[in-house]
Amino acid sequence: MSREIKLMLNGNQIFVAIEDNWTLLYLLREKLGLTGVKEGCGQGECGACTVIVDGLAVNSCIYFAVEVDGKDVLTIEGLAAADGTLHPLQKSFVENGGIQCGFCTPGMILSAKALLDENPQATEADIKQALAGNLCRCTGYVQIVESVEAVVDKSSEDINVVVRETGESG
Amino acid sequence: MSNYALVGKNMPRVDSKAKVTGQALFTADLKFPKMLVGKILRSPHPHARIVDIDISAALNIPGVKAIVTGHDTIQRKWGVFGYTQDQLFLPADKVRFIGEEIAAVAAIDEDTAQQAIDCIRVEYEVLDAVFDIMESLAPDAPLLHEDFPHNINVHVPINVGDVEKGLAESYYVREDTFTAVEDSYFQGEPYAVVARFDMDNNLEIWMPNAGPHMKAKPLSNALGIPLNKVRVRKITIGGAFGGRSEIAPADLICALLARKSSRPVKIVYTREENSIATRQGHALITTIKTGVGQDGRVIARDITCYMDGGAYSSTGPIAVSVPFLCMEQAYKMEHVRYNGYRVYTNKPPRGMIRIHGRAFACGVDTQLDMIGDHLGIDPVTMRLVNAREAGEFTNTKSHVASCAMKDTITKASDRAGWKEKWGKLPPLRGIGIGCNSVQTGFPMGIRGGSQATIKLNEDGGATVISGVVDNGQGNDNMLVQITAEELGIRPEDVQLVTADTEVTSSDPGAYSQVSTFIGGHAVKNAAENVRKQLFDAASKVLKVDPDDLMARDRMICVKGSPTETGIPLKKVIRMILASGKSVSGQGEYWPKVDPKREWVKNPFGQMCGAFSFGTTVAEVEVDSETGKVKVIEVTVAQDVGFALNPLVIEGQFQGSVAMGGQGGILTEGHVWDKGSVLNPTQLEYKVPLACDMPKINTIIVESNDPEGPYGTKESGMSIAMSAAQAYAAAVSNAIGVYMTDFPLTPDKVLGALQNKMELETPNQNEDVMEKTLELVVPAV
Repeated sequence: MSREIKLMLNGNQIFVAIEDNWTLLYLLREKLGLTGVKEGCGQGECGACTVIVDGLAVNSCIYFAVEVDGKDVLTIEGLAAADGTLHPLQKSFVENGGIQCGFCTPGMILSAKALLDENPQATEADIKQALAGNLCRCTGYVQIVESVEAVVDKSSEDINVVVRETGESG
Repeated sequence: MSNYALVGKNMPRVDSKAKVTGQALFTADLKFPKMLVGKILRSPHPHARIVDIDISAALNIPGVKAIVTGHDTIQRKWGVFGYTQDQLFLPADKVRFIGEEIAAVAAIDEDTAQQAIDCIRVEYEVLDAVFDIMESLAPDAPLLHEDFPHNINVHVPINVGDVEKGLAESYYVREDTFTAVEDSYFQGEPYAVVARFDMDNNLEIWMPNAGPHMKAKPLSNALGIPLNKVRVRKITIGGAFGGRSEIAPADLICALLARKSSRPVKIVYTREENSIATRQGHALITTIKTGVGQDGRVIARDITCYMDGGAYSSTGPIAVSVPFLCMEQAYKMEHVRYNGYRVYTNKPPRGMIRIHGRAFACGVDTQLDMIGDHLGIDPVTMRLVNAREAGEFTNTKSHVASCAMKDTITKASDRAGWKEKWGKLPPLRGIGIGCNSVQTGFPMGIRGGSQATIKLNEDGGATVISGVVDNGQGNDNMLVQITAEELGIRPEDVQLVTADTEVTSSDPGAYSQVSTFIGGHAVKNAAENVRKQLFDAASKVLKVDPDDLMARDRMICVKGSPTETGIPLKKVIRMILASGKSVSGQGEYWPKVDPKREWVKNPFGQMCGAFSFGTTVAEVEVDSETGKVKVIEVTVAQDVGFALNPLVIEGQFQGSVAMGGQGGILTEGHVWDKGSVLNPTQLEYKVPLACDMPKINTIIVESNDPEGPYGTKESGMSIAMSAAQAYAAAVSNAIGVYMTDFPLTPDKVLGALQNKMELETPNQNEDVMEKTLELVVPAV
């Protein structure tokens, strides 16, 4: 069955026609062209498809598109500022070598953002736990965790300074 | 030591901004007008003759644009070597493993393609199948390939010295057998291919690959079209780990669908398809007989290794040889005999993997510990006594020009606190060490060398044209770093045209750890060529000898004088352009290997340009109730020759610990029901998670290889191998039982502890009983 939903996507309100059986991943990648959202397993194991819905990191491959009706969705494409300034997490991943092949990177950064938005003073253990659902085969996670820790070390105001406004939800 | 501006220093990778913003395009992200979705029908049987394939119902489904079967191919078999050509992509006669490709559909969307796949009717004559190495070698076993008797795909025999004499003269001899099940790559990105033909019938094709030129030639063979009509394009690649070096069935299938439908086609594998229908690592049975002197020095080794190769050859002869080569590079011995067999079974084909032959590598090191135990020599000394040294030759006659193996052993064990910990740790805590060596390059015939071109533009920017591919390890950055260093420009001044077979010259790819050593070397040579042109022109203006000039900060100036006293680089370029010449140059590099060396017929002579050496020390704690291993700390040291970019190298080391040790020894292994993989997904297979990882100390050792560019060798594999060995040794040390079957999953560790308890009964020896109880009941 088709229906139209309304959502805030990366700070912009959009209306889009969907089918009930579409996943959020399918909507984002195939219909809206947001290919920064990756599909690594299609069954909620690897976290490559992570996006933030109303502040929570979710696996978009097992999240129905219809569920985002009226909600805020943030993908990796919406994380940097409009002028291209990188979010502190993005900058930190670049500087601290938190990236190798880059396939897990968008999901990894968004899981980290969801964590730091909720707990700006996250510990190493908190970070490792929050990223446990994002699989990386290249790095051994060390430089990824260091990339997130480097942002934690800064003041909490810093963290949110270039987070794009996602508007009101509901 | 260096006066380098960029190399040898931490440099954030040039590709990382595109990756943190989601702009980096991987194969599955590509979209073209009129593009179709491709799906593959796979065999449900491990061994069956194909009697008939009926595609008529599928063809009638609206939206289906093309269907291909084996009858659409030219029936040319693939094998990396002439003598191992055994695989038809889309076989028309019989299938040999569950998941083998039978037919494929291109349709307007995924649902339609899947519906058509479900409508293809295949009639099979099911044949007896074999899933075990020893059963496959049995006289009455079903034969997979008629031209490979006894199901032996490859036999590599090596015999140096007099092994019998050496064993007879040894002070102590022991023989042990080590085994491991299949492992897998589990690259982040599932396999995907996009193919289309242009109006001149040139094939454009994108796929994750570890060498575009390694893909292009077999594709041209399989399609029956000239090589210059196959254009493997550059694309971001989500990991390889040894698994994406050769042509894959999906490459040919996607091209066939694109040709038949006259439209672009995209095939994206599911995670399960990536596990069962690309490549896996080999299962192994390795028997090692070693004789040593009283001082622990190895006098003779006799090794027989059986590798489960699955249904097809893949890199067969290389796969059988590499575990032996790693050992003979790492450790000295006077006499050695090797019989390596790769055996066919009705399972998916196996290829090279980052911890290739873990049962072999871990077997060699575990046995060194067993011998040391018997002789009263500690593991670090056992390794120092046997470690390779610079200037020596391996048993198969490769000269080792640079080697800091002993430094890696000393530095890693010192940093890990070996002396304070060995034999002194509390019960169920253990420490172990592993050493290994890998090749920087294999003999690869006409694809063994690399050629690069650099051109400079009037604004001072450089374009680098090179066949080097980046699988995710940072090769693009490596090329930029070298070019900017040599030409005295900034990283942002360099643009790459790489890994595109239409324009780049031949290159061995990221296969066999050679990207920097060979591809980077060629780019360095090209940059030196261009720099010479610049210096010749500048010397006339500055009225000095060209040898007295240097390039730095976009200026060309006299050595030792401030850069601002020189001439801007772009002014020199414009001078040359105005004289009617271009500012461009080529560079090539060929490794100094013995061209007569051949894997099976003549495994002697210089194997590769350089060898890397790595040591890992791991400290673990075992839970006696669950058998679960907790890793406390890991220390790695590798002789990388020269650290071009320490930030990247540390990432390679840490990733190696995760894949080689944490996953490779504690969790990773395929579980089977006959020919079916029961754990094809990441969580079932148990790849390491962030929360599993221990503290890792990384030590970079530089031996400055005389041949490598700036002295570099490789950094992606030695630690993965040695980490596996160290993890295995540490677990054995913790439980007081030498473990011989990998991976060391909790059930095996618990079983070993229980067996040990049963063996050490109270009646035998009271001391042993006390010790055993102490071991299994941790102090409160």
